[in-house]
Amino acid sequence: MNIEPSGEAAEYGRQASRAFAAAGGDRLAPLAEAEPERRGALVEPVLRELGAWELRPRDDPDDLEAAAALCRSAGYRALAYPLAERLARPAGLGTDGLLVVDGPAPRAPVAGLDLRWTAVTLDGRRGEAVVRSGERSLDSAVVAELDVRPLDAAGAGDVALGLVLPCWTLLGMLDRALDLTRSHVLARHQFGEPLARRQGVRFQLADAEVERGGAEALAAYALWSVQSGRAEALDDALALRLAALEAAEAVFRTAHLLHGAMGFCDESPLSWVSRCSRPVRWLPLGLSATRDHLARRLGRHGLTGLFSEAAT
Amino acid sequence: MTGGMTGGGSAATPADLGAFRAHVRDWCRAHVPDGWRRAQTGVPDEEFVSFQRAWFQELRRAGFAVPHWPAEWGGGMPVAQQAVLYQELAAHDAPRLVLAFVAIHHAASTLLAAGTDAQRHAHLPAILDGEVWAQGFSEPDAGSDLAALRTSARREGGTYVVNGQKCWASGAAHADWCLLLARTDPAAPKRHGISYFLLDMRTPGIDVRPTRQATGESHFCEIFLDDVAVPAANLVGPENEGWRVAQRTLGAERGMTMLELAERLAHGGFRRLVDACARPGPGGARPLDDPLVLDRLAALETELTGLRALCAELVADDRPGPADASVAKLVYSELLQRLTDFAAEVAGPAAHTELRRPLSSGWESGAWVLDFVGSWEWTIPGGTSEIQRTIIGERGLGLPREPAGA
Repeated sequence: MNIEPSGEAAEYGRQASRAFAAAGGDRLAPLAEAEPERRGALVEPVLRELGAWELRPRDDPDDLEAAAALCRSAGYRALAYPLAERLARPAGLGTDGLLVVDGPAPRAPVAGLDLRWTAVTLDGRRGEAVVRSGERSLDSAVVAELDVRPLDAAGAGDVALGLVLPCWTLLGMLDRALDLTRSHVLARHQFGEPLARRQGVRFQLADAEVERGGAEALAAYALWSVQSGRAEALDDALALRLAALEAAEAVFRTAHLLHGAMGFCDESPLSWVSRCSRPVRWLPLGLSATRDHLARRLGRHGLTGLFSEAAT
Repeated sequence: MTGGMTGGGSAATPADLGAFRAHVRDWCRAHVPDGWRRAQTGVPDEEFVSFQRAWFQELRRAGFAVPHWPAEWGGGMPVAQQAVLYQELAAHDAPRLVLAFVAIHHAASTLLAAGTDAQRHAHLPAILDGEVWAQGFSEPDAGSDLAALRTSARREGGTYVVNGQKCWASGAAHADWCLLLARTDPAAPKRHGISYFLLDMRTPGIDVRPTRQATGESHFCEIFLDDVAVPAANLVGPENEGWRVAQRTLGAERGMTMLELAERLAHGGFRRLVDACARPGPGGARPLDDPLVLDRLAALETELTGLRALCAELVADDRPGPADASVAKLVYSELLQRLTDFAAEVAGPAAHTELRRPLSSGWESGAWVLDFVGSWEWTIPGGTSEIQRTIIGERGLGLPREPAGA
């Protein structure tokens, strides 16, 4: 078995990244936050041109890899648009996207978009999700409260993809945070030399890269698990989410610390990537909730993994 | 020399402390403004400033504004009482002194340690009357390597002419005065050509620009200095000896401020977190019913107890060890991050649509997501965690000095 996404998918991701850069790049996130109603108009034409809406990730393995690569590029450029959610749309319901939700007060980063959403819980209960109008969130302008009208309980097969693709978005954000930090410690001189000359700095960056690399490997594995229609795809998706969230904590902590105060300011791309990562990291499940769900699902049987057949 | 910043060191008996605690409680019940959190949420800067000024005067009238100052300047409270004061203020959810922070800690400790009598008389009473201070230390190319600063001060008769740029000066937009480091001898080795000045922010040639941060707030400022004339009388300590004076100011940031911050974290933020865990969540269950949550809370409580002891000891000690302040700052900043991170998790998705933090609150306001993001700042100013660890290694443990680079 080969869990590595194809070269074509990676190339598609690179093209997408260039297109997002040309469409505004780092200016997109501040614009989306300032006017969530405009963010669709900012990026949807580019996504259409990239053929995003023709991708059939649930039906076609190549399209699934392309979708993952696209999400990763969207994360890299901090697109502040629910691309993963749209690409995970369920079959046959005629809606524009899928939101995995948890708990009685569901929220999702879909404010300001005129789209129809299907919500699904981890145990596969689906519903029609409508953005609650009225009170607007005042800080994270892209997160909205949802009203969910129950539909059916046929969504168990929808969930894994709905969890895996946002992790690819997050992976792209981690790629970017590390790239930005690497550039910063090379360029920033203190004590007469680049910060990167300091072993304490290098060790931190190395640890963060190890975390990111682990999340990347699991992202490929979980994608392959979804692609292969494995029964444990949801376990793998939750395991990926857990690893990606832990990696995100480590990577952003290091990125912020090494950027210094500049990393918190609006003129710094890191500030925006970090800010855009928040809804992905906390919705629908934060770290503890992810760990809790995974532990309950796995019980004592553990993850299946790649080499279980050989082991038994 | 008028003594340190710790106020009196005399031991108060438990009975004295009990009576004092009752006194502070009564005072808090009568004076902490009802509904200040709501009134300080989403308001323009001017309302924050006027509220802070009024609250400072309220505390001053009670003798609670500068308890850590020496008695002759209006303080003199024993350390044990200070701890009780900060505990009760936090427990009664009193607003924090945000605007006066640099004035009552950094400016005061600098003036007391190195200022002239004239400077002390000019500024310590004025601070009590509301004079606001900022700190102009960092520059774009001089952060951790503060001694690399390039803002210059050229002596011309009775004045110094200052040119350069400062950054990350918290609250500078509202400051009346600024603690300024500038280079007076460009030829001297880095640390030896720096002088320490008191800068009147009304002097012509000063331009202050706020910088918006990831929390949506803008308390960081850049300060641009263009031929700014500073009277020689505003030099603190000898010319070219500013580095040594600055160590005092930074010591205050790492040390004296910590008692209040530690007690605030334990008696304000942590209690707020425990209360939040005791309330049923949207699903009906209380976080407290989860043994994992209890476990985390117990671990945090243990760490907080250690931090409080560390800070109290640091402040009470007449001759603290050379790295003690760094240990306290390192522990506080990283604990604040862990606590607010956990609180943001407990708060759950709902925290993402309740994202306005009341101004005038502590670093643990209860808007946990913003508090967590804000907590990341703490491992950077006043010496990053790397700088603190270097100090602990070199001055605390006596390890060889790190190669200083070129």
